[in-house]
Amino acid sequence: METEKGKTFRYLREKREVSQDAKDRLREFNRAKKEILGALKEKDMTVNELGKKLDRPGHEIMFYLMTLVKYGSVEAGDIDDMDEYFSYKLKK
Amino acid sequence: MSDEIRAASYDALVIGGGIAGGEAALDLANNGYKVLLVEKDLSIGGKMILLSKVFPTLDCAACITTPKVSEISRHPGITVFTGAEVTSIEKKGEREFETAVTKRPRYVVEEDCTACQLCEEVCPVVVHDEYQYRLVGRKAAFIPFSIASPRVAAIDIENCTLCGACEKACPPKCIDFTQETEKYIIKTGTVIVATGFKLFDPLKIPRYGYGVYKNVLTSMEMERQLAPTRPFNTILRPGDGKMPDRIAYVLCTGSRDDTIGNPVCSQICCMYSLKQAQLLMGALPMADVTIYYINIRSFGKGFEEFYEQAKGMGISFVKGKVGKITETETGNLILRYEDINENRVMEEEHDMVVLAVGVLPNTDPLSFFRNGELKADQFSFVDQAEVLSSPARTSVKGVFVAGTASGPMDIPDSILSAGAASSEAISYLKQ
Repeated sequence: METEKGKTFRYLREKREVSQDAKDRLREFNRAKKEILGALKEKDMTVNELGKKLDRPGHEIMFYLMTLVKYGSVEAGDIDDMDEYFSYKLKK
Repeated sequence: MSDEIRAASYDALVIGGGIAGGEAALDLANNGYKVLLVEKDLSIGGKMILLSKVFPTLDCAACITTPKVSEISRHPGITVFTGAEVTSIEKKGEREFETAVTKRPRYVVEEDCTACQLCEEVCPVVVHDEYQYRLVGRKAAFIPFSIASPRVAAIDIENCTLCGACEKACPPKCIDFTQETEKYIIKTGTVIVATGFKLFDPLKIPRYGYGVYKNVLTSMEMERQLAPTRPFNTILRPGDGKMPDRIAYVLCTGSRDDTIGNPVCSQICCMYSLKQAQLLMGALPMADVTIYYINIRSFGKGFEEFYEQAKGMGISFVKGKVGKITETETGNLILRYEDINENRVMEEEHDMVVLAVGVLPNTDPLSFFRNGELKADQFSFVDQAEVLSSPARTSVKGVFVAGTASGPMDIPDSILSAGAASSEAISYLKQ
């Protein structure tokens, strides 16, 4: 069994199966990421605007969007005239 | 799991690496005793390290905690096990305890990790970040939080897809998927239980809508939003990203309430709500903050002045119990409450509601001793056998309790309690 430094993941792959939940979560995040980045490529948007465009609830958009902000793909832009909603844009 | 059981001996075992356990360990080690500190989480620091500021001084919580955890980690007299749990303790005789400890694999060689976070960068998996109270995501290869101690990566194996990207990206090649659970038998002369408390789960009060209405938060979620290492760029509603204007606090959520089985006052909710309200007024100067309360219990040093300061800043106080919360189409929340001063039932609309959740006992330590020797009090906290004359003593001679394991208390009292526990432990060791 492979236990060479830098390749030990192969060792564990032989011993345990990756759960279906983990695979589903990965697929869902990738789908959401693709949708959000695609929408923001067209124009800057607020959470509500993204929710409407992508037909996803606001809290889901918030979670994925803030994760994309955390990992540097997206950044906060301007706030609206009512000082209520920020727009978000792709990080250049 | 490896079949090998490792043996080690120390003068003292401290269970729990929060502020009380850490303080007790430092006191013992500074007096020349060898200490093993066992923490079930991936970092020491407990709940305090995740707070924004502390009351009533509004000092930065991280600025107090970080030097302390750093001192604990570097102290030559303290060995820290993170990701480890006590499974049983047996008293063999006076100053002779045998404790079984299980240490989960981190899948990272701690000594070699440089915290470069390259593993985190390439990891494709995103799950809810428990250290940000699920408000944002984290990777399966991750450093728990920026001021974690040890600041070392870990692999969340339940969510890892074993793609190997982290291992390929790791410059010192410290990721090691061959690590297994380790079992230890630890011999010590004394034991300090500093296992802390649990927060009330507001799902147990469905009429408040937590979990259903996304703009109803717990106080710990708000604490994270107010911290410098916050999940969002500013204070935002998790439901739609709106910057809230009208924020309500519902005190005594899960405290002083027989209907949910916790008649005890949590002692900290009034003050942390006053603290958060003041911080919110600073972060959102145009916001209206209203606190719905039964009584404001500002009993400690400087607490009454802190309450007066909050009133002076324009925070509104409504004496009344909130009966129900409903949501409007815009995500706003309508609080139906009994105004005790006006003697009538009223309704008020807010953008966001914060539930000031209470303190519940952590009953884990009660199962450490096989025959139930470690007794609980009537509320299931660790019983203080001589609460007036020797509050750190438990029902087992040589086992002492520190911090909120024995009941609700604030940070200064937890630290005082840890001092008492370590002094008692030293006396016991010297007998």
